[in-house]
Amino acid sequence: MTTIKDILFRVLLVALLLVAFNFIYKAFFFEDDLQEHSGLINLVRTVVNDNCEIVYVGESSNNTARSDDADKRMISDFVADYFPTVKMGNITKPASHAGIYYELLRNIPEVSPVKTVVVTLNLRSFNAQWIYSDLETPLQKSIVLLKDRPALYNRFMLSFKGYDIKTNEEREKQFKHMWRHSPLLLRDDFPYENVAKWDKGTAEKGIRNADGSINYELTTLACHYIKGYGFSIDFSSNPRVTDFDNIVRLAEERNWNLVFNLMAENIQKADSLVGDDLVFLMRRNRDKLIERYQKNGVLVVDNLEAVEDEQFIDQNWTTEHYAEKGRRIIAANVAKALKGWYPTQFVDVAFIPDTISTKP
Amino acid sequence: MLFNSIEFLIFFPIVTLLFFVLPHKYRWFHLLAASCVFYMFFIPQYIFILLVTIVIDYVAAIWIAKTDGKKRKRYLVISVVSTCAVLFVFKYFNFFNDNMLLLSHKMGFYYPEHVVSFILPIGLSFHTFQSLSYVIEVYRGNQKPEKHFGIYSLYVMFYPQLVTGPIERPQNLLVQLRQEKTFSYQNLSHGLRLILWGLFVKMVVADNIGAYVDQIYAKPESFNSLSILNGLFFYSFQIYCDFFGYSTIAIGCAKAMGYNLMDNFKNPYLAQNIREFWQRWHISLSTWFRDYVYFSLGGNRVKISRWVFNILIVFVLSGLWHGANWTFILWGFAHGLVHVAEHFTKKIFKWKEFTDKTLASVVRFFNGIKTFVIVTFIWILFRATDVHHAKNVFLSVFRNTSVGDQLHVDMKTWIFLALFIVLDTLLFNNRFDRWCDKRHFVLRWSMYALMIFGIIVFSSVNNFPFIYFQF
Repeated sequence: MTTIKDILFRVLLVALLLVAFNFIYKAFFFEDDLQEHSGLINLVRTVVNDNCEIVYVGESSNNTARSDDADKRMISDFVADYFPTVKMGNITKPASHAGIYYELLRNIPEVSPVKTVVVTLNLRSFNAQWIYSDLETPLQKSIVLLKDRPALYNRFMLSFKGYDIKTNEEREKQFKHMWRHSPLLLRDDFPYENVAKWDKGTAEKGIRNADGSINYELTTLACHYIKGYGFSIDFSSNPRVTDFDNIVRLAEERNWNLVFNLMAENIQKADSLVGDDLVFLMRRNRDKLIERYQKNGVLVVDNLEAVEDEQFIDQNWTTEHYAEKGRRIIAANVAKALKGWYPTQFVDVAFIPDTISTKP
Repeated sequence: MLFNSIEFLIFFPIVTLLFFVLPHKYRWFHLLAASCVFYMFFIPQYIFILLVTIVIDYVAAIWIAKTDGKKRKRYLVISVVSTCAVLFVFKYFNFFNDNMLLLSHKMGFYYPEHVVSFILPIGLSFHTFQSLSYVIEVYRGNQKPEKHFGIYSLYVMFYPQLVTGPIERPQNLLVQLRQEKTFSYQNLSHGLRLILWGLFVKMVVADNIGAYVDQIYAKPESFNSLSILNGLFFYSFQIYCDFFGYSTIAIGCAKAMGYNLMDNFKNPYLAQNIREFWQRWHISLSTWFRDYVYFSLGGNRVKISRWVFNILIVFVLSGLWHGANWTFILWGFAHGLVHVAEHFTKKIFKWKEFTDKTLASVVRFFNGIKTFVIVTFIWILFRATDVHHAKNVFLSVFRNTSVGDQLHVDMKTWIFLALFIVLDTLLFNNRFDRWCDKRHFVLRWSMYALMIFGIIVFSSVNNFPFIYFQF
């Protein structure tokens, strides 16, 4: 009996100590830790401190420009041109995705000037290679302290690596497993049942030059497109869907106007390198996402096919990095969508795409 | 499963609680299952390698006990060779292969190139040696063979010491695994103290230092001499705190259930010479080499030249045990050389002969410093990726006297390192759990509080796996 009493007393003592530690940590150490390990929070603070009413959330698609762009400003800046009287800010974190956006948006105080949130909806971020990317571990680590839990508990999770921490090899195993086991759900006579086989088949067949020899550069790029877009979104298991669902729920709680800005992909290149089947998958995934989120009251801006091939900065890789004209087109589409909520503040910017240089 | 992970913080209380809830006759199975789960958190399929080793040595020991004469020896050899073969394939094959290729190029003979890509099973060297010690002890007649396959498997797989030791002897662990353990508040308390102390030492001291060591070893040419010396000093404590921390947690986990594992460290950096250092550093390994290799070679009851050979061979093997790389072999050889050199010059450094107490203390102090400095420099070979890297780090100490960047060390790192050094010195030849017994409740709990707070708030956020996992 004495032993049980002793143990209970000590357990209680530890519990009390932890409560006290939480106060001490919050008061003296938390801010330093935030700055050191979760500097992302400053992006949120800037938006709040600047009293921004519209917040544009995105990754490198927002702030990447081509060297010959006359105007190298971000997509969010171009959107802001349409609403000169509305304060607009951006939260831009390269290589991030909806899971990170959710944590950042959640850190906007419940009472804040923010009324409208534009979130980048990147089709590629639903693919296995991105979901299980080697960038995921540092990204997950950077948001541990931002989670909605007691500060000391968050620090505990950071110390004991209580987040999605995996080696690059483990991540590779994960996405390769997905490539092998996720059905493509394409036409019945499609020769490949999954991405792994499609990728292998394309690599073996190769893309031919005019003289019949294999063009290895184009073949590699075609395989990359297959791995980037060759998937069929499964709403029941794709973690990115959960992330976007969380954002929808958060926007409802905060009473925000929510826009999902579905980014442009290089459909022309996908078509020329791989063919109709890949384009079909891209379009079907787009349609599924638009249908799902529009049903949930989100305004989805469909930019999937809005930007032409030559406006994509990276011609040898799949990215959503656009030259000025591409960024302006996307901004114009977003602005038009926002006009519904800000009809009086909207100013039609004289944007004539043809006047902008299109040559890299 | 890592001791410093969320999974382990859930695993440990469940396993310990279930251990005491279950009747004695089911406990071996419970611990064996828990150990399998613990091991399979790394690479699940490698448990079969462990199983192969277990089966070989289990059967061999029974046959050894049943037979005598030449047959007995034959079974021992079969067992040792097969167990070592597993170790060789996974750990040394590529090293052997690379060196044979290199030799074939130099000597001009043909050697076919083999490419084998294995991930070294975690703790393979540890449980191989533990398994070998059992067979050898049975052969020597010091231990009866264990008939219960489950209990023998548990002896090899006992989760607290499965991956990085202490390398136990059957006379200590196997006997305890058969004993009925009753719940003891004192054991639990001592076990938890050790776990707390071990986690603190690993997570707060070793891992915070580790970040600076990595910087230095990544680009030794860009730091000035003082910073490199700082890095070398830090590595001495990183490896100590890392391994000592792990061993302490292991001992604590076993202690909570009433099992006593051997101590693996006793203030090694307070040693007066290399010989004493090895009596205080990784004790379970050094005694293993002493008992099964050094004594078998004749120990010190041989001619002096043969003794020198014995010492060098034991240290080289010890180096090789650590890793399949010339750096480890040279590291062991360097320790052996210093050991031999100290033997021949021991009269110069023998402080006990000084009658004046103050002078004796001064000499003792300088002997301690001398040993620490030697060990610290030899650690370069242990930490470096290859011999060229080691040479580069070593030379940078002397080369970069007026060039290079300064290593900027966070104040909290110094504070925690200093705290550890003070506490470790206070614990001289004692253990944290026993030392705590004699402290007042308030002091004890203040220390626990500081450690808990330190572990949560000041642990490194970088991922530093236990250094000895690679062995």
